[in-house]
Amino acid sequence: MPPPKLLYEYAVRPPTTTEVETLRKWIAAGANPAPLDLAARDEASDPLVSDSARQFWSFQPPKRPEIPQVQHQDQVRNPVDAFLLQKLEAKNLSFSTQAERLTLMRRCYLDLIGIPPEPAHYGERWAQFWLNAAGYSDSEGLIDEDLIRPNAWRYRDYVIRSLNNDKPYDRFLTEQIAGDELVDFKKVKQATPEIIDKLAATGFLRMVPDGTYSTGNASVPERFNVVADEIEVLSSSVLGLTMGCARCHDHKYDPIPQRDYYRLSAILQTAYDPYDWMTPAWNNPYDLKFPTRHLDIALDSEREAAARFNAPIEAEIKQLEASAKEKAKPLREKVLDERLAALPQSVRDDLKIVASTADEKRSELQKYLAEKFQETLKITNEDLAKRFPDFKLEVENSKKGTDGLKKKLQPKPQIRALFDMGGEPSAAYLLRRGNAQTPGELVQPGVPSVLKAGLITPKSNHESSGRRLALARWLVQPNHPLTARVMVNRIWMHHFGKGLVASPSNFGRTGVPPSHPELLDWLATEFVQRSWSMKAMHRLMMTSTAYRQSSRFDPAVHQADPDNLFLSRMPLRRMDAEALYDSVLEISGRLDLTQYGPPTDVEVNPEGEVIAKGSNKGWRRSIYVLQRRKTPVTMMEVFDLPPMAPNCIERRQSTVPTQALQMMNSEVLREHSRYLSGRLIDEFAEDRDKQIERLYFRALSRRPTPEETKVAKEGLLELEKQWGSHLGNTKHEAPKLPTARWFALAGLCQSVLSSADFLYID
Amino acid sequence: MSLRQTMPENDKLLQKGPLTLSRRDFFSRFGDGLHGAALAWLLGSDLFSANPSLAFSSEEGRAVYDLKSRSPHFSAKAKSVIQLFMNGGPSQVDLFDPKPTLNKFAGSAPSRDIVNEIEFANEVGSLLPSSFKYSKHGKSGIEVSELMPYLADCVDDITLIRSMYGEHFNHEPALYLMHSGRTLPGRPSLGSWVIYGLGSENQNLPAYIVLDDPKGLPINSIQNWQSGWLPPVYQGTRFRSEGLPLLNLKPREELPAPLVEAQRALLQRMDESHRQKHPGQPDLDARIANYELAARMQITATDALDLSQESEQTKEMYGLNQEITASYGRRCLMARRLVERGVRFVQIFIEGQIWDAHSDLENSLRYSCGKTDKPAAALLKDLKQRGLLGSTLVIWGGEFGRMPLSQVRDNTGSAGRDHNPSGFSIWMAGGGVKGGMVLGATDDLGHKAVESRVSVHDFHATILHLLGMNYRDLVYQRHGLNERLTDQFPARVVSEMLA
Repeated sequence: MPPPKLLYEYAVRPPTTTEVETLRKWIAAGANPAPLDLAARDEASDPLVSDSARQFWSFQPPKRPEIPQVQHQDQVRNPVDAFLLQKLEAKNLSFSTQAERLTLMRRCYLDLIGIPPEPAHYGERWAQFWLNAAGYSDSEGLIDEDLIRPNAWRYRDYVIRSLNNDKPYDRFLTEQIAGDELVDFKKVKQATPEIIDKLAATGFLRMVPDGTYSTGNASVPERFNVVADEIEVLSSSVLGLTMGCARCHDHKYDPIPQRDYYRLSAILQTAYDPYDWMTPAWNNPYDLKFPTRHLDIALDSEREAAARFNAPIEAEIKQLEASAKEKAKPLREKVLDERLAALPQSVRDDLKIVASTADEKRSELQKYLAEKFQETLKITNEDLAKRFPDFKLEVENSKKGTDGLKKKLQPKPQIRALFDMGGEPSAAYLLRRGNAQTPGELVQPGVPSVLKAGLITPKSNHESSGRRLALARWLVQPNHPLTARVMVNRIWMHHFGKGLVASPSNFGRTGVPPSHPELLDWLATEFVQRSWSMKAMHRLMMTSTAYRQSSRFDPAVHQADPDNLFLSRMPLRRMDAEALYDSVLEISGRLDLTQYGPPTDVEVNPEGEVIAKGSNKGWRRSIYVLQRRKTPVTMMEVFDLPPMAPNCIERRQSTVPTQALQMMNSEVLREHSRYLSGRLIDEFAEDRDKQIERLYFRALSRRPTPEETKVAKEGLLELEKQWGSHLGNTKHEAPKLPTARWFALAGLCQSVLSSADFLYID
Repeated sequence: MSLRQTMPENDKLLQKGPLTLSRRDFFSRFGDGLHGAALAWLLGSDLFSANPSLAFSSEEGRAVYDLKSRSPHFSAKAKSVIQLFMNGGPSQVDLFDPKPTLNKFAGSAPSRDIVNEIEFANEVGSLLPSSFKYSKHGKSGIEVSELMPYLADCVDDITLIRSMYGEHFNHEPALYLMHSGRTLPGRPSLGSWVIYGLGSENQNLPAYIVLDDPKGLPINSIQNWQSGWLPPVYQGTRFRSEGLPLLNLKPREELPAPLVEAQRALLQRMDESHRQKHPGQPDLDARIANYELAARMQITATDALDLSQESEQTKEMYGLNQEITASYGRRCLMARRLVERGVRFVQIFIEGQIWDAHSDLENSLRYSCGKTDKPAAALLKDLKQRGLLGSTLVIWGGEFGRMPLSQVRDNTGSAGRDHNPSGFSIWMAGGGVKGGMVLGATDDLGHKAVESRVSVHDFHATILHLLGMNYRDLVYQRHGLNERLTDQFPARVVSEMLA
């Protein structure tokens, strides 16, 4: 049996009796490697996938439909409306009236920017959706330690920047799947922003929970789990297929044989090789014998900045360690003397010399002695601590000091990338019942047989297999049946609350058929024709009459279209967790709009709420807050922030009392409200009407109605009275009247920020 | 008298608006899709399909998810569950599974197949018999070790399963498996499935409550009670057993009632006027109801956990007067009070890893048993004397057991035992479970379950069965597929243990 220590460091289980028996027989038979005929078993077209299976709508390329002629041609702002009206008119319905301008403005801003009208930060809003689809997280998850990924943010920034620049979706996707194969990164001498961008893009397939950095969680089956999660991310977000079903058996509903699953996963094998693993953690905290899956490529300026930042801290650490060593020196000598006392005089003197000679200066004889008396000469800090109780305390304190300092060090500027490992990849097998311990037939890399048309043979390049680049090029063919459809459907979903295909990650047989198949195809082809521009899609959707209609509920229309399947009105939507979080900050005037860079840390307040740390500039947008799996920000978690396991394509929304408790009682809300109230008082002194008007305008993007002003004023008066008497009964030091007014107005602010009017988008 | 029958029905909401809505309709609703389902509900369509396998309304492929009490697939004794989760992995050979053979082989090296399953392959010791004495108890004569003197008094009420087995030797995956049926995160927990299937009998408290240890969250923290892809309304709610039971149940600075009332009244007026302008939006009604419920919960949740209402005798029984048992005792007693009030699923977790005895086995087990044995047994006795044990399923156990070998760390300190997923013991009581029964057995060393093996899927299927649900029929549609707690794994209801 291999030495236990090595088994542990390589995260390999000791072989079982049966395995040992098999190996023994194999060696006895001459230890010939089994012939690997990789191509033999891989038919061009899978016999399990019939031509009729290929006829299902979503496996056929989208066809450009004619734009329908409708009766209410006046309501057609662009073809989107024509397709929708066709169905509405068939039901004797048409669009609802146009929403009021201010309502529409608020809707557009919250949809596109994620904060009420003011700055333009589209990339930060829509990156969130894409990052959810990729399963973005700033920590490894899976095991309790939930190790932080100090470099994940480069991928986040890549996504934000790409969206802000309206990077064409085909390029966006190609870079994320195979950015490393687009640049010759192995020969890079001088990193450029462009190279770093392409490599950071591959973070897309580095986001799933990955516990294989720890010894107990790095065995082969666990490595396969990581790959399986990446396949899940890829197939749910890009292909819109439930590939995961085929991991253990042929797909029960879709024409996806199990072999197809392992073909797809074999594409990743040149980068993610379960038989030749790399640890996901940048600092390899468990000292596994694997390289880390990070690239040491950074701009010189960034390296220098990190070095500058770290230099004084490193100096301090060095000093601490040196002083600890200095203190230990006499103790060490004492212990050595004690140990040597048991040995004969002749050896004793020689060993003393050996101990005081540096390793490299030792003569052959001294080296021999050093090895022979290893146990005697090796005096660890633990040995000293045991012998000298005072020293123990010393060691602990010094370690505490250095550990604290080490935490302050900026991590090495690295890229958390997925990259081809080069060389010959190991063979890929179909795993029977998905079990890594029961490999079946060999498989070649490939894409699902039902969609095989147009697959490009991988070309190796820059010592890279080219497998992922071939996959990406296949995905972004203009007539790919799924790529454009899946993406326009998701854009539609985020604008209209529901996709044209209501199951955005399942376009297969068990998915929901499209409500408007022609519109979906028209949009998909339009997307490609407009060079895969996502902004063009937003423009198209948001300038349609459909998007501009009001959310007014009409009982008669409701009878005919109870589920609003035909979009006879705009649905009333609740803000999602991030929009709510960002908006509260923005309205209270405390949003720090600093873009990009490492995430802001979180902390726990005395009540136990996880909150983001602020700075003198305020609090940053949610997307820049550390997204650690075990510490989601409470306010967002309560409003249905989804866990990334491994990703999330479609969010669920709940209406539960903890949301009310959060808005009513959280110190965070109370604090922001007081700040906002202070600002309003600074601006308008005692003018209640103006304060109320400004508050409504900021929070709800409109003026209050006279009735609303009346309610607000009455509320203010009552709150002021109550605060007055409360402060009168307490030993508050501040002048009572102004404080009562300030707190009363804060109460009104908190009410507005908690109101349905604020939380829901008309 | 059980509190289940005494739910107050006075509710202002009943008079509000044109519809007959009851508070329980409002408690927590979840619309799949934006409003369609909620509208269907508003228009009075029947929420419950006749198909017992899907107890939810389904209109045009959308469903409403709430916490209304629902009938099970078939009638069953268990109405609620208290799970005493012993995270860390209690050592079966020292507690429940006597292995005299181990004495014979004490000190000898383990076989290669045992070593193959060990987390710390570099710390493998030799076969290690238990140093604790076993004796027979009760009419049934079940053998329990001297570490559990209080449970020993209750053995005639429990089924002891000695043949549980899991799939993974590490805490995180094993915990995921135990709680959700797979060794990976992201799937709904057992408690979520139960309330998804049965709803709750008290709409003034969460249906699935977790009482975690004030000393810290267990491994996998909040993911142990997550609802995964089930709607968030089925997630476990963490009640703290010290201080405020719920996060933000009260503000940092408590204000006098009239001030709080003025604040609430203002928001209510604003929301009411918004609702008038948005007819046909049941989400908004639900929201208003939730605000009122949140206010009520400040009383109901505080009251449910208020142990000062308990008699001195009860407090003594649960060990509230002794330091070692007080913390766990409080949570056991709270669990009883919650179940009395109709809460469906209560889980109690324990500080860090007290069962995770990698070293210093003896002291560590004395500590963990000292902390939990008396309160757990008190819970059984208390439920029994109040006539609640019949309708409450109590489950005791961790994510795996421990090896019959010693684990030796750095040649220092006394030995411990490493994790063992291949065979371990758990017990269940009440709620239609046979009393005084031992089920299954491990091999002669106490390593592998060999007789009447019970997988985690079997365990889950059996719990659902005891609650009146068929594990095959309790399904949730996701990506067009029928998902279930036991996934696609083979499972069986362990019928031998059903009363």
